[in-house]
Amino acid sequence: MIRKLLCIVLFAAAALPRLSLANDGGVLEFSAEELRRVMQHGPWPQAWSGDPSNRVSGRRDAIDFGEQLFFENRLSGSGTLSCGSCHVPERDWSDGLARGEGMQTLDRNTPNLVNVRYHRWYSWDGAADSLWSQSIRPILNEKELASTPQRVAELVRKDAELACHYTRTFGRPPAAVADDEALLVDIGKALAAFQETIVAARTAFDEFRDALARGDRSAAARYSLPAQRGLRIFIGKGNCSTCHTGPRFTNGEFHATGVSFFASRNRVDPGRYEGIRELQKSQFNLLGRYNDDPARTTAVATRHVDLVQRNFGEFKVPSLRNAALTGPYMHNGGIGTLREVVRYYSELNVDRLHADGEQLLKPLQLSAQETDDLIVFVESLTDFRTNWKRSKGGEPTCK
Amino acid sequence: MSWRGAAWLAALLAAAPACGCVPDFAGAQRTLAAGRYAVAYRAVPQKIPLGQHFALELAVCANAGAPPFEELTVDARMPEHGHGMNYKTSVRRTADGRYRAEGLLFHMPGRWEIIIELRAAARTDRVTQSEVIE
Repeated sequence: MIRKLLCIVLFAAAALPRLSLANDGGVLEFSAEELRRVMQHGPWPQAWSGDPSNRVSGRRDAIDFGEQLFFENRLSGSGTLSCGSCHVPERDWSDGLARGEGMQTLDRNTPNLVNVRYHRWYSWDGAADSLWSQSIRPILNEKELASTPQRVAELVRKDAELACHYTRTFGRPPAAVADDEALLVDIGKALAAFQETIVAARTAFDEFRDALARGDRSAAARYSLPAQRGLRIFIGKGNCSTCHTGPRFTNGEFHATGVSFFASRNRVDPGRYEGIRELQKSQFNLLGRYNDDPARTTAVATRHVDLVQRNFGEFKVPSLRNAALTGPYMHNGGIGTLREVVRYYSELNVDRLHADGEQLLKPLQLSAQETDDLIVFVESLTDFRTNWKRSKGGEPTCK
Repeated sequence: MSWRGAAWLAALLAAAPACGCVPDFAGAQRTLAAGRYAVAYRAVPQKIPLGQHFALELAVCANAGAPPFEELTVDARMPEHGHGMNYKTSVRRTADGRYRAEGLLFHMPGRWEIIIELRAAARTDRVTQSEVIE
């Protein structure tokens, strides 16, 4: 009997911390430093501001026109592909494939378009410095839509629906624009106006973060303990938040993390190195004549970007918002699942890293429990709405 | 001298490089001795943001006998991470006789080292200053 009583007392004592946690709303005791780091990942959504380099950014007419163009197969050289062929709304604006499939198989994974308005650089190599110039690149790329400025311009001039949209958006009929390239840039700007509207909604993490910010532990307790533990690893032991910074969970810059940059057996993907070279010679960059902002206020990065040897094999840090929906992962789609990504960093092979690269990268050596928790946390950054529908069912809307 | 005046003077002396000139920059956040020169700077915005471009306003003075400097460069590194910025700064002289370095961007949190170099008469004077970015 005494032994039984002792067992009960010992069990109760062992359970006390857990009970106290539950009574406290099931919220881990984050240190002041941890709380400061958690706060840096919000608030969400970020404030909207138009793109000064795009004169139709944020305009309803341009958004409608851009949506029409986004799903327009005739923009492609073959007449069979559109932006929406790879950036599929139901697949979180990606394609679920390891590598994109345009006119040919691409070297890289298709990035999703969620929150694309907030980027500083576009594509895995940052070869574009605005959303509108990025929107032009796949149209002209022979492996993607394989079209030409002439083809696009002629289509917009001759198709009544597209010409109507163009006129409404840009205040002049496309037939009045003799320069095919200038017309193509306008198409890029309308496409950008549409893509700017693709913004992730708030997530379980955002609710937790804001609950902590206002001291509402009861609301914070709705966020699961595994997610909280995963968050603690993310901002602590894992050092994940060193690159996946801020409300978008990316610093928007480029790093080499040891992922193979062989695009095939005999060919390498130079990553950021070639991206900077392409950016600097592009007539569509923000220093060029197609920037609608005479002050070039958003061109600071383009003006100062520095091409150095270590850029070779660097790729952009992807946002982790909605990452759970956008596998396969890495620039080459070489890792299939979030669990494998976490294992990649847990068992990182430092021999594959640049000698002059990021010294912070070390194998995380996570336990099975820590791995599970980190995955639950990343999953909590997901906006699970996948019910996006085309406005007016994609029917003609311009008369 | 009032106690306030004395405190101000003491603070000024503490901030200024020993036995050298003091740049004329009332709003400076840092004043540093740089060999034959002294440099004062202020970040714009004053709190250096993580992951966003910012500028530095700088004032420079030459110690007695130092030649006028020919070139001023500004760079930054993360010593613990083994890399620098992804951007190359540009420096221009402004109408008020100061300098403005543009294009800086600290893309990771942690300790950054701002590196300021002044070149004159085939010699470079270099000074570094740590800034912790959160």
